[in-house]
Amino acid sequence: MTGQAFLALLPELISTGFLIVVLMVGAFGESNAGVAAGLSAIGTLAVFASAAVLLATGFSGSFFGGGYVVDGFALYFKLIVAGSAFFAVLAAARWSGRTGDAPEYLTLILSVVLGSTLLVSMRDLFGIFLAIELATIPSYAMVAFDRSRRESAEGGMKYLITGVVASSVLLYGIVLIYGVSGSAMLPEVATAFTGNLTPVAVIGLVLMISGFAFKVSAAPFHFWTPDAYQGAPTSAAAFLSVGPKAAFFAILLRILLEGMAEAAPTWTAVMAFLSILTMFVGNLFALRQRNVRRMLAYSSVAHSGYILAAFAALQGGGVAFAVQAVLIYTAAYAVMNMGAFLVIDLVGEETKNYNGLVRTNPGVAASMALFMAALVGIPPLSGFFGKLWIIIAGAQSGSILVYIVVGALVVNTVLSVPYYFGILRNMLLEEPTTDTARSKGTGAVRFSVYVLAVLTTLFGLLIIPLSALVGASGLA
Amino acid sequence: MTTTIIIFLPLLGAILMLLLPDEERVVRYSALGVAALPLLLAVYIYFAFGDDLGVLALSQDITWIRSLNIGYRVGLNGLGFGMFFLSTFLTVIAVLASWDVRRNLKQYFAALFVAEVGMLGVFAAQDLILFYVFFEITLIPMYLLVGVWGDENRRPAAIKFFIYTFLGSTVMLAGFLAFGILAETYSMDALGGGGGLSRTAQLAVAAPILFGLLVKVPAVPLHSWLLDVYVSSPTSTNVLLSGVLPKLGTYGLIRVALPLLPQGVDPFLPYIAAFGVINIVYGAFVAFLQPDLKALVAFSSIGTLGFILLGAASGNAVGLNGAVFQQVAHGLYSALLFILVGVIAARTGTRRIEDLGGLAARMPWAGGLLALGALAAMGLPGLAVFISEFMSIMGAFATFPVQGVLAALGIILSAMYLLYMLGRVIFGPIGRPAYEEIGDAGPVEMASVVPLAVLLVVLGIFPALLIGLQRPAVDAVLIILGGG
Repeated sequence: MTGQAFLALLPELISTGFLIVVLMVGAFGESNAGVAAGLSAIGTLAVFASAAVLLATGFSGSFFGGGYVVDGFALYFKLIVAGSAFFAVLAAARWSGRTGDAPEYLTLILSVVLGSTLLVSMRDLFGIFLAIELATIPSYAMVAFDRSRRESAEGGMKYLITGVVASSVLLYGIVLIYGVSGSAMLPEVATAFTGNLTPVAVIGLVLMISGFAFKVSAAPFHFWTPDAYQGAPTSAAAFLSVGPKAAFFAILLRILLEGMAEAAPTWTAVMAFLSILTMFVGNLFALRQRNVRRMLAYSSVAHSGYILAAFAALQGGGVAFAVQAVLIYTAAYAVMNMGAFLVIDLVGEETKNYNGLVRTNPGVAASMALFMAALVGIPPLSGFFGKLWIIIAGAQSGSILVYIVVGALVVNTVLSVPYYFGILRNMLLEEPTTDTARSKGTGAVRFSVYVLAVLTTLFGLLIIPLSALVGASGLA
Repeated sequence: MTTTIIIFLPLLGAILMLLLPDEERVVRYSALGVAALPLLLAVYIYFAFGDDLGVLALSQDITWIRSLNIGYRVGLNGLGFGMFFLSTFLTVIAVLASWDVRRNLKQYFAALFVAEVGMLGVFAAQDLILFYVFFEITLIPMYLLVGVWGDENRRPAAIKFFIYTFLGSTVMLAGFLAFGILAETYSMDALGGGGGLSRTAQLAVAAPILFGLLVKVPAVPLHSWLLDVYVSSPTSTNVLLSGVLPKLGTYGLIRVALPLLPQGVDPFLPYIAAFGVINIVYGAFVAFLQPDLKALVAFSSIGTLGFILLGAASGNAVGLNGAVFQQVAHGLYSALLFILVGVIAARTGTRRIEDLGGLAARMPWAGGLLALGALAAMGLPGLAVFISEFMSIMGAFATFPVQGVLAALGIILSAMYLLYMLGRVIFGPIGRPAYEEIGDAGPVEMASVVPLAVLLVVLGIFPALLIGLQRPAVDAVLIILGGG
């Protein structure tokens, strides 16, 4: 391996190293939960730092015969994955320590990090498939990890079965694309996806997008999401809904732009359809939920719909803005959604646990209020900037269909107000009852919630460096 | 930089509030101090830079989001300074008038100060997206002020407030974005005169923006969220709710819609003037029917907002100056009336007009000031509201005579219900024997209403103090409108 290739793989090598060490700690020590958690936290921070250094030095290039690419775009998503993994480790540390399998659980998180960071750098369809599997197979185990709750096993089982079906659909699509273009490398796929697409190419494209739709929980392939997120340990739901999901969106963006840019009229139409359906399904079902975990699961479906709206806007004058929109939205979503999920660890999953929380636990209540307002998209909180970018991208695309998608996004934003504000209402306007949570959870979770609340609030300042980064991300 | 400092000082104040110990005196005095700082700075600006406010002064222009061409652009000019000053002033008044808030006082003041950040920001913003961001920053704190500290009907009121105004401002944002994308900038300075948009494009952009602004005012068919919110709020929240928040809408009309989209707004002007008249007449009629003193004041407040719409729509120097002036005058008188209603309700334990009566004998100061406020509301010469209502009507006569005549009739209607109210509440026989025991407004209550009354009189006698400041900026708008 040359020095440059070694540098290119630095974040992945670091996560592999920590993965092995943490696993060893689990294998050779009885009560090493604290050590394993500390090592995992350092590991995720080291991955974050290495990606940040590579980004700061402007490192870029393609390696291993062009199948592996490091650019601003890939490094940006590595930052999101590693950053969200850090908070997941903090949230998981004490909980998994109680069950006695801390190192195993933390190893799973680190494997998802490894898979996701590899994934965003792949430029070869089969490499992409392998990285996706590397990121998702440990996540099945993460969802089913909470043996004390039946729902966890049930959610994990549903997630596993649908996930395996999705993977085979995805693989079938990739094979058809390979068959049409004679190569799995994206630049060579691009030469086949020009002009009029053959029926086989269209089927391959649609199957591949369907596979991804499963992975990012877009309707009508979303039905595993509420069960999996409700059953999963909080740290798993929090992490899986932002980290790997951002990576799936990223690689889908790379495939579509680097491999099938000429076929944009076909896939933007598919994306517009998926986006509208996903937004409405997510929000309408979220409105009916009494369980906060389930509500946030449907909310994450709705937010996938918003991000897919940016994919529909990848045409006309909207391409550059749409790419930026995906990058900004995934970062904005990571801080606010992660924070909202972690609050469940501190408060509970029934809406009645939140009654009068502001009186018993004002700091957590204020943070949750910020996350809810941010998820609605109220400025100057993080979610606003994501939606702003998507709307602008959509408006620049010059397509009537995308204008409809943007209109649906605005309608859905208002539609989502009641369920996010239901929580706000319970916390702030109701009186505390016996169901109201007194401080639960660990200091690490509390710390994570506060940090994420600050990041959500100050996103208007973070946006200055972020927008410079995404402007120079190298894709489109 | 000064502008930015004033805008964000209350944010620091809000954080300070949360860190204070739970001791009521400490909290109240610190809140007063926090509220006073921006006011003092605004007064300083008035005296030091008052003559420069014809064009944008004390401005700052920093690139915020380069790729979208959005900037952090703030500055003060004569159009916004009056309300900028009034926001700092009414925040001090609101802190003084917060005697009916007893629970969670620190959090109450913190929410109040966050709302102040949004208000100040709106009146200083020189970028459409920044304008929208500040516009929305007021939303959550106001929701909390009503929803947490209001009366027993507060929850539905707060949620209604949120949904209506959020819907309105989301539609407005769509208009802003379309405008910015077509004109390729969000800088209000660069967008003056339409930013190069065709008449059709301006029309298409102006419609959603006007809708959002009119919901915020609220113009009458869009007002249904308002009554519950006003009546359920604590007194000090009413001060901001009626004194400043409607002006986010009217100021948007005067600062954004008129000069930035002159051709797009033009066809709507007769309707805006008509909305103004509907507000005036409808507000007066409905106020007549209210059994509740606070509801009466609420509808009086909606009614006189109509003069701002009327004057702004007239498109001439007299009317527009009247509209800008009325924003301030309306804030002063409605704050005065809401606080006095709070004082009376706290003493008598009721707000039902028919249960009150003869209060002048027991509380001469509060009763006298209530009379002053009511006389101001009906446009008595010598008080600030007269100047602006008169100018709005004069302006309207020149452009929309029918609306002008109807508005003048509205003044007569308002005189009727206000005199009826005064007759019932402060004159006549004592309403209940128990009222023999009550005392006049205390020192804190007086401190919260006297400055309002003084400003009403001072601006009524020397309107040039404010009009001199705003006239050059108003003239600049008129040049864009082509009215000269």
